[in-house]
Amino acid sequence: MDITSEESLWYFFKKGEINAFKALFKKYYPTLHAYGLKISNSSQLTEDCLQSFFVYLFENRNSLGDVKNLKSYLFSSFKRALFKQLQKQRLKTSLNDSNLLEYYITFSPQELAITQESQFLCSDTLHNLLNKLSSREKEVVYLKYYSDLSTSEISEVMDISYQSVSNTLQKAMLKLRKGTESQQIRNILKKY
Amino acid sequence: MKDKNQDYIRRLLKDTSFINWAKGTNKNDIEYWNALIQKNPQHIESIETAKSVIIGIKFTKQFPSSHKIDQEFNKVLGTLQEETATNYRFSVKRKLKAVASFSTAAIVLFMITWSGFTLYQNTNTNVHKTNFGEIIDLKLPDGTSVVLNGNSEIRYANADPRNITLKGEAYFKVKSIPSTNAKFWVHTEDLKVEVLGTQFHVNTRRKKTNVVLDEGSIHLEFNNGDVKKMVPGELVTFSQGSEKLVHTKVTVATPYALWRDGTYTFNEISLKEIMTNIEYTYGVNVEYENIKLQQLLITGGVPNQNLKICINAIERATNTRIIHKDNTLLIQNNLNN
Repeated sequence: MDITSEESLWYFFKKGEINAFKALFKKYYPTLHAYGLKISNSSQLTEDCLQSFFVYLFENRNSLGDVKNLKSYLFSSFKRALFKQLQKQRLKTSLNDSNLLEYYITFSPQELAITQESQFLCSDTLHNLLNKLSSREKEVVYLKYYSDLSTSEISEVMDISYQSVSNTLQKAMLKLRKGTESQQIRNILKKY
Repeated sequence: MKDKNQDYIRRLLKDTSFINWAKGTNKNDIEYWNALIQKNPQHIESIETAKSVIIGIKFTKQFPSSHKIDQEFNKVLGTLQEETATNYRFSVKRKLKAVASFSTAAIVLFMITWSGFTLYQNTNTNVHKTNFGEIIDLKLPDGTSVVLNGNSEIRYANADPRNITLKGEAYFKVKSIPSTNAKFWVHTEDLKVEVLGTQFHVNTRRKKTNVVLDEGSIHLEFNNGDVKKMVPGELVTFSQGSEKLVHTKVTVATPYALWRDGTYTFNEISLKEIMTNIEYTYGVNVEYENIKLQQLLITGGVPNQNLKICINAIERATNTRIIHKDNTLLIQNNLNN
């Protein structure tokens, strides 16, 4: 990753350069959009929230500090903004306070490439296995392999330690591996 | 014990040589780690877990188009300018906008979960797309109903919902509008169907377009300029590539494959042709143990909402055995007979 260009991008953005702002927007809008959609399940909400998020960033650029890692900074602050909106929305629609901060990531079969590089994972059952993971495991898997975040970036976005990201990821992949194995065995047994 | 394994995995994940082995990129590393695994079979579980973390999961990522991103960016700029101009008035306006957007949000969510609805490329175009093995019933804004088979797509401009482009397979019940005599169009790669109000079936798979008319009357306009009128009960097949045109009446004697109400109806159709349908609808590969099997003929209906039921029905109809593994269907003679 080209750190210097990220740094200069942020520097010029903070100076109010529209071109830097545009470059920043173009670079991060797609992955943030996909992430927001995954969490909220609503493109309307995601897009509205991204709109006000970028407006907020630009208007408050002078009070934003120097960020160490732009990607994880944007992911975590966008996540916070989106949660605020989701919370408001749920307050309006449901009286049940207990699930205010609950959100569920679900994976659909068409999101998974038909052939997986790893022989352990066969794709026709993979989405089912993914959806059986705990919500924390799902988020780690999503951020790692869909959003291409590094382990330390994930730990910032999810606000958990580097160790627990690493452990969660291992556990998730182990479950997926075991799951496909037993699925394959069951398929073979069914046939004979 | 468990912590020890996790430590071991973490060390592996930081080891460049191990990463090369997992990705199969460096010959020396591959040899080294293969030898190490042979000598230390107790580590195999940890090694495989570490390998799967490195290789990971391949997603088909869906991002908004660059056109859409530009649009959204211009919206942000617009808001910024507006905000500096009328700071006070804006805060009220934004609140109103937020309320409006949430009431629509619930509807959007409903559609996404129901039909894998995609609405990215252009806000002026509506796209309905089905996954492998998914069938959806659609009502278009003009009242026309469409049943879209698996792995198919229709798109139309919001301003012109009676002008549709189809990829894949669909059944149309067109609502006629007598007052204006408004026409309804279906475009495929090979031809254009012009309709007044009718029921028909269009299939664009296998590089050709099949149209079967159930009720009413339609005109076909081929990409080579020819025009043809169809009456109910007829079948027209046309391919732009080969310019081959078949125009017949569907009778007990014609071989045909029809798809209606989620069921495929076949009349004297070879297993090969049927399996090609299955390949398109479910995104699987079909292999034959014996090439002669391709020539088996099938007559009858096969339900196709579910690959498993579909396979079962074909097995029974042809007295074969179909093994489904890793996205491949292997067709064998049934040895039990």
